[in-house]
Amino acid sequence: MTSAAEFVGVSQKFGDFTAVDDLSLTIAEGRLTTLLGPSGCGKTTSLRMLAGYSRPTAGTIRIAGRDCTRVPPERRDLGMVFQSYALFPHMTVADNVGYGLKLRRVAKEERRRRVMETLELVGLAHLAGNRPKKLSGGQQQRVALARAIAIRPKLLLLDEPLSNLDARLRVQMRAEIRRIQAETGLTVVLVTHDQDEALEMSDDMVLMRAGRVMQQGPPREVFPAPANRFVAEFLGYENFLADAEGRTLTVRPENLRVAAGAADADAPAGPGGLLLRGTVAHIAYRGADLLVTVDATDDTGAAVRLLCDVRGGAAEGLSPGGEVTVDAREGALVRLPD
Amino acid sequence: MNTRRPVAAALAVAGYVVMLVPILFVVVTAFTAGSTLRFPPEGLSTRWFEEALGYEPFLTALVSSLQLAALATALALLIGVPVAVAIHRGRIPGKGLVEGLFLSPLIVPELVVGLALYQQLMIGFGLDSLTALTLGHTALMIPYAVRVTGASLALADPHVEEAARGLGASPLRTFATVTLPLLRPGIFSAALLSFVTSFNNVPLSLLLQTREFRTLPVTMLDYVQQSYDPMVAAMATLILAGTVVLAVLAERTVGFAKIFGGINR
Repeated sequence: MTSAAEFVGVSQKFGDFTAVDDLSLTIAEGRLTTLLGPSGCGKTTSLRMLAGYSRPTAGTIRIAGRDCTRVPPERRDLGMVFQSYALFPHMTVADNVGYGLKLRRVAKEERRRRVMETLELVGLAHLAGNRPKKLSGGQQQRVALARAIAIRPKLLLLDEPLSNLDARLRVQMRAEIRRIQAETGLTVVLVTHDQDEALEMSDDMVLMRAGRVMQQGPPREVFPAPANRFVAEFLGYENFLADAEGRTLTVRPENLRVAAGAADADAPAGPGGLLLRGTVAHIAYRGADLLVTVDATDDTGAAVRLLCDVRGGAAEGLSPGGEVTVDAREGALVRLPD
Repeated sequence: MNTRRPVAAALAVAGYVVMLVPILFVVVTAFTAGSTLRFPPEGLSTRWFEEALGYEPFLTALVSSLQLAALATALALLIGVPVAVAIHRGRIPGKGLVEGLFLSPLIVPELVVGLALYQQLMIGFGLDSLTALTLGHTALMIPYAVRVTGASLALADPHVEEAARGLGASPLRTFATVTLPLLRPGIFSAALLSFVTSFNNVPLSLLLQTREFRTLPVTMLDYVQQSYDPMVAAMATLILAGTVVLAVLAERTVGFAKIFGGINR
């Protein structure tokens, strides 16, 4: 696996604020890497440093093996899609897409051909002569994508590309971006705060907090095994409790099962390795499921509040104040490293 | 007009009446055949237009005014546009202060500016009237240039220039192919506003005039003080016509919404 880009000990400070703190990261060639985290975690700053819009206060950035830390953006050969799309309002769609090719002195005929080819790739060839303002948000987004791809960049950088789209379109565009990546073979770096987006789209995901990497790896490796509480919380592991030895366990609401009535004190733990007795504090109706809040005591004797996602008939017999028994599905309990 | 809001509609009508009716009186009076400035006009003729166009002091002053307005506008844009770009796109410390400095001529009374320039430039440095007036008008027009061109930049997506850089454009190329086109309607409207404001200015021109160099409004003011014939109304009507032509041209080429909104979207 060769690297398309590398961060080596990169830091970015704005005054007293450290946006990115000693970041070392390898972006694998031909894969889609997401930088994921809450706002202020340094993901966009990292992307901007990679694109050359912001110079790191320390460290080295390499693109295709070459030290690019001090290279201005126009000489990095990267394609960037901005959250606001940043289309040129005074140019047609075709001229927007052809802008980078014109700068590269691609001859007129060849340029026209490549512009149309790229617009076809994003399904917008019929709008080539329009001005961006006449286009819908989703179409503008595709133009921005086409403009970045047309120059055949070394890397395609996407800064929260889907966050300005409505929910339905957003889900469609996830698959669309993956399709385009597969067809072009581009290395993609995508910044997002949406874990579902990252899980669905990434080959590799990098979870960040306060300018540091919290965990990285393919979604299928990261999701079932969060490395720490932050990652677990960010990925939707709502419940944290301690086992008999005081080690931290976490479990997702949909992996807890709730049954009416208290189990015997000496009843064995279920296949999930968990058996807690408690009372229902609250039941929230959510249409397809119920979110049941249970106050219980974990094996160290500490009070824990558990969120349990209950579907269909399993909710029978549950009511606020009622005694319940909570157990976990097999393999659902995750122990966090100390 | 929106008939569902009668009060607003009535106020709007009242506003138009107050603004337009006096102008209408001047225009109608200009076509009189009589020899005094009064309404209703006595008979109908274009004799006062002929008189005005043949009146040497008006023609000389018109040329002076146009010359002055063109010079001041060009200078104001030359200074104001880079300042606007620096304020909205640059990384300069104390942006607020810089902007305040360049907008301040708006709040200083023009008579004070005029007097100061008269003392310093004409008496102190012995500059001629055109130079002093050009400097004075330029100072007055800079706020328009900074504000109006700045507005078109403030409304544009700040990432478009970065996008251009990322696609391979040098900073200079980015300015020429992206920033400047975004600024174009702003520059056009600033030029229009500056030109008209300079052309109509009286206080500065009054203080900085000389026998050799006098602007049209000042000359007309002088004329009204000496004589009460309708020639001044005819001249005013001609200026009005010129302004209307300019406005129509602006609407046809760029459009008012773009010019005064300063938006290029």
